[in-house]
Amino acid sequence: MSNVLLKLDSVSKTYRPLRRDPVHAVRHFSLDVQDGQIVALLGSSGCGKTSMLRMIAGFETVTNGAIELKGRAIHTLPPAKRNVAMAFEGYSLYPPLTVHENMALALKSQGVGRVELDEQVNSIARLLEIENILNKYPSSISAGQQQRASLGRALIRRADLHLLDEPMGQLEPQLRAVLRGRIKHFIKERQLTAILVTHDQTEANALADRIAVMEDGNLQQFDTPETIKARPANLFTGTFIGEPPMNIFHSEVELNDQFLKFHLGTDVVLRFPESAFSADLRDQLLNVRKVTLGVRPYAVRLSDVGVSAEVYANQWLGDQSHVAARFAAGSVISVSHDRVSTKEGETVCIEFPVTDLHIFDTRDGSAISHGGKPA
Amino acid sequence: MNGLAIEGLSKTFKDQIVLDEVSFDVDKGETLVLFGPSGAGKTVLLRCIAGAVDQDSGTIWIDGHNVTATPPEARGVGMAFQNFALFPHMNAFENIASPLRARKSEPTKLEESVRAIARLLKIDHVLAHAPRELSNGQKQRTALARALAAEPGLLLLDDPLRNVDAKLRFEMRLELPRLLAGREATVIYVTQDYKEAMALGNRIAVLEEGRIAQIGTAEDIYLSPSNIAIAKLFGDPVINLLDVVPDCDERGAFFDLSDQRIALDFLPEKAVGVPCTLGIRPEDFTITKADVPNALPVNIEAETPLNEKTVTLAVTPLGQELLASRPAGTAIHGQDSAGYVFNSRKILFFDSKSGLRMDNSHSNEKRSE
Amino acid sequence: MRHHTVLETWLRGLAIAVIVLFFMFPIFWIVLMSFQTNETILRSPPSMAFVPTISNYEAIFAGRLDSNVASMDIKFLGNLGNSIILSVGSVAVALLLGVPAAYAFARHKFRGSEDIAFTLLSFRFAPPLLVLLPLTTYFQALGIADTYFGLIWVYQLICLPLILWIVRGYFEDIPADIEHAYRTAGHGWFATFRKIALPLAMPGIAAAGLLAFIFAWNNFIFALVLASADKQPVTVGALAFVTASGIQYGQIAAAVVLSIAPTLMLALYAQRYLVEGLSLGAVKG
Repeated sequence: MSNVLLKLDSVSKTYRPLRRDPVHAVRHFSLDVQDGQIVALLGSSGCGKTSMLRMIAGFETVTNGAIELKGRAIHTLPPAKRNVAMAFEGYSLYPPLTVHENMALALKSQGVGRVELDEQVNSIARLLEIENILNKYPSSISAGQQQRASLGRALIRRADLHLLDEPMGQLEPQLRAVLRGRIKHFIKERQLTAILVTHDQTEANALADRIAVMEDGNLQQFDTPETIKARPANLFTGTFIGEPPMNIFHSEVELNDQFLKFHLGTDVVLRFPESAFSADLRDQLLNVRKVTLGVRPYAVRLSDVGVSAEVYANQWLGDQSHVAARFAAGSVISVSHDRVSTKEGETVCIEFPVTDLHIFDTRDGSAISHGGKPA
Repeated sequence: MNGLAIEGLSKTFKDQIVLDEVSFDVDKGETLVLFGPSGAGKTVLLRCIAGAVDQDSGTIWIDGHNVTATPPEARGVGMAFQNFALFPHMNAFENIASPLRARKSEPTKLEESVRAIARLLKIDHVLAHAPRELSNGQKQRTALARALAAEPGLLLLDDPLRNVDAKLRFEMRLELPRLLAGREATVIYVTQDYKEAMALGNRIAVLEEGRIAQIGTAEDIYLSPSNIAIAKLFGDPVINLLDVVPDCDERGAFFDLSDQRIALDFLPEKAVGVPCTLGIRPEDFTITKADVPNALPVNIEAETPLNEKTVTLAVTPLGQELLASRPAGTAIHGQDSAGYVFNSRKILFFDSKSGLRMDNSHSNEKRSE
Repeated sequence: MRHHTVLETWLRGLAIAVIVLFFMFPIFWIVLMSFQTNETILRSPPSMAFVPTISNYEAIFAGRLDSNVASMDIKFLGNLGNSIILSVGSVAVALLLGVPAAYAFARHKFRGSEDIAFTLLSFRFAPPLLVLLPLTTYFQALGIADTYFGLIWVYQLICLPLILWIVRGYFEDIPADIEHAYRTAGHGWFATFRKIALPLAMPGIAAAGLLAFIFAWNNFIFALVLASADKQPVTVGALAFVTASGIQYGQIAAAVVLSIAPTLMLALYAQRYLVEGLSLGAVKG
């Protein structure tokens, strides 16, 4: 598991449209993908994730840097010579072939026998719930079915690397939830290595061993889903990852009477015992002074002690409650797995456990502390 | 009566029945969510109420007036559209002002009202911008402001959060009730997102193939869905369905799952000896060791995180896939081979043949009385 | 997305230049001819070198055609005026009738609406000559032969279907929800047509109007049969330059330059407007 399969070495992509300013789609992107790993490139539209994937696949030239697959440089090879399978966002099924033929095509050219081929196509079709449309043509099936067929065509191939570009964007939420688990199981069972491009963090979290968060062509953080969530490297990752999004408060730090006090602009002050932070961290916080506090909605507790806030929404969603309250010239959102009974207009007390407190430098957004420990 | 009343509304497009005898009442000030999969008829129903589409038969009453034959401009409704439907050749101000202009509002008052609603929706700084210069979130707020501007008695919102990103959708979902409160407007809200439906609706009307399959509070529908299809529409991950034939003997109620007897503390009378589909929500499963009594024997296939929850995909010896969810960070007992324990009071019993729910333990009629 | 090397940019430029030259050459040549006498035009081999003369234009404006054999009166300026009256008149009538009709066809599907729309288009199928003979008889009986009114009426065969079908497409492209939004805001259907549909379809209406104008301007056969000398447009009037003493190429060229000038200017003016209209964009979504 520890062999580097794919190595991206300071890859950049610059588009130079006629008579317009150049666009830096990807900037000095470096990352290692281990053999058997699933890596997600996660970001909003225009962050460069699709450009990066297309460079790996060979549909896009590399402006600068190198891509190595199994130790050989592939960034100058044509796509067909890279031994990479790809599921396209736009499906790209061959219209004159049935779904079965589409999926079987690559295996056929690799000389797989008829019986084994049918068996493989059928097993993937069962996995993706498209057995009943194997004999249909792409034009006569729905977008969701086309997408699953395209995904099946990529997964069935024997390749060094599987690239999946928004593979489940067109599927209904219920089906998506089931397929995520099955696809992960399939990839792990066959020990495939895959790179997934998605804007949906639920999908990235569910499928990937490691997530590369991208923004504006830059790699923001590359780590396991758990680490990215628990220890976001900067304010961008902190607010981008996590649904519902992290609560954010700008504040100024002060040490007073053995309490570390965070002044949230208005007269709201959060107090933590100074012992909750290490001495070094305390000095750093007091030195930086202007910090941004981040607390995930699941960590915000409604309790009897703490700072008071006025509830303006309490929404129950069957398996969780979302409570929003006016707080410190803005709002705070609390989510719990149990049903909460508070009503609109009521005043509640809000408590932020120090163990769930993320602190960022307000000036450059870099993380200073997670849960009272240095970042 | 005040509010909105629909009686026997039907609509057919080219031999396809889109609305089939739809009837319901909405109280003044109430928010009713029209919920259902795409193609269920939600959007057409909303357009019939607005007057943009003519129904084949049926009657529509708004605040006690029969408006069935009234043209849309005279129905006094405000409407926000899924694709925003902003007027591309007018700036945000003129877009919001258009209902006020139609009502010949006095210029200074018009300006005041537009600015007030824009401030409320935090778009007062972009009033001079053309729609193409607005971000998606601002477009959506402008569309909402336009619908609210003339303080209509009936507000029709057609999936207004569909085309904004997840973060904004979440914020708006919490903010909307506050915006609507105090306006005393009756609100009809169309959505495909069950979370929005549960969060925003005083009641939810679930549409299925042009018919209202169930109407009730979020609680009614989540805890007592009237059929399998509705149960599957609410909840993430989707509700688990298990086909069994429960029975009763001297030791009590039970069903067999690959030679293992699973006891039930509760079994509706009608379900005895009948092919049933059990509906069990993922959060109602607890994962235990395989040898715990009454646990469903399963093999765990995958664990995936989902918004602060961990979702476990496991397979029974018969190959049925069952999802369980628990708050993230809590550990499970047992390894690959484990058991799923559930509280049989929380099971939903459906007749496998008709798909209808069998028990009446959570009465569905509570609200309509 | 692709980027272009210097060579690619250069080759593209060359290709565009060749195409422009190919299409513009006839116009360029005609402009050259209009400043030459018949002798320099007809010399062999042809040459670009000549002493420019404006005698052709003088002859047209003076209304007298002097050749080396004889001189005769021509009414080219009168023809030009006729062309303008006929084209502007018929496009105006066609827009007045066609745009509301196009809106009706686009928005209000009723039983037989497709058939009516198709029938209107089918006017363009029949060869004009076939229609002309009965039409002439009718027009004479009605007393509208050789009137602007009658000619503009006949020109509707050319303009109306064109405007109807092009503008209808543009109306259909406006999302119905935008109009629904305006109506639920409290405006009547006519206000919606005027304030929403018309402005948003304006690029299409302009394009269709321009196209109809060009077709009307270039029409020959209807005017040839139905109009007498004093109602003739330039297309028919140009026949006068074919005289017994030969063809006056120089004057024809000058007449052609004068007759394409209005359409050309209109097209250049409208182009700016069309581009503006299209870049207004974002009609969808």
